[in-house]
Amino acid sequence: MWCSSNPAQKRYVTRMVWAAVFCVIFAAAAAIGIRHSHVSGVTSYFLAVLPALPVAWSLVVTGAYLSEEKDEFQRNLYIQALLCGIAVTLAVATGWGNMEDFGRAPHLDLIWVCPMFWIFTVVSYPLVMRRYRS
Amino acid sequence: MKNRLRVLRAERAWSQGELAQRLEVSRQSVNAIETGKYDPSLSLAFRLGRLFGMRIEEIFEDEEGTGTEVRVPVGAFRHD
Repeated sequence: MWCSSNPAQKRYVTRMVWAAVFCVIFAAAAAIGIRHSHVSGVTSYFLAVLPALPVAWSLVVTGAYLSEEKDEFQRNLYIQALLCGIAVTLAVATGWGNMEDFGRAPHLDLIWVCPMFWIFTVVSYPLVMRRYRS
Repeated sequence: MKNRLRVLRAERAWSQGELAQRLEVSRQSVNAIETGKYDPSLSLAFRLGRLFGMRIEEIFEDEEGTGTEVRVPVGAFRHD
């Protein structure tokens, strides 16, 4: 998918790269604004929420890709990869939460849930594709 | 679902890539359909039918049936 000639996939990758770029810029702006400029009150909440906007956008972009993708097999592969990503993320987050509560596992910040989801989805894609290889 | 795609493609000397191009899908899609690992939607099955100039049931074969028309015996349904 990442070096595809399929126009829908090309658009999807470009949009996702922009979402990732904005996520990093907004996260850096929030960190600098809150930690170094001592912003407080409503402004600090606004800055804190800012990096979540590209995350929400990435899901909109994913929905757009699924509706733009004309190749039903590719669409099916990506839906399965997304479901694997969701399943593994939920399982890991729940397991880790329980380990934090009942064990001595270190605290994992919630901001890592989203990168975890995308990493698991990307890793799942070739694994899902292997099922269909002859 | 079994199908005759590989045979039909070979008869026309088309590669998987060529068939994929004609269908406007990826080569992986053609491969997955040919090997019976992916069952195409009805619309893609119709596109295949149009491309080969055949009916869907002449290309695809039900696991239980032979791919020929299902014939219902006369009088199978009662109209009381």
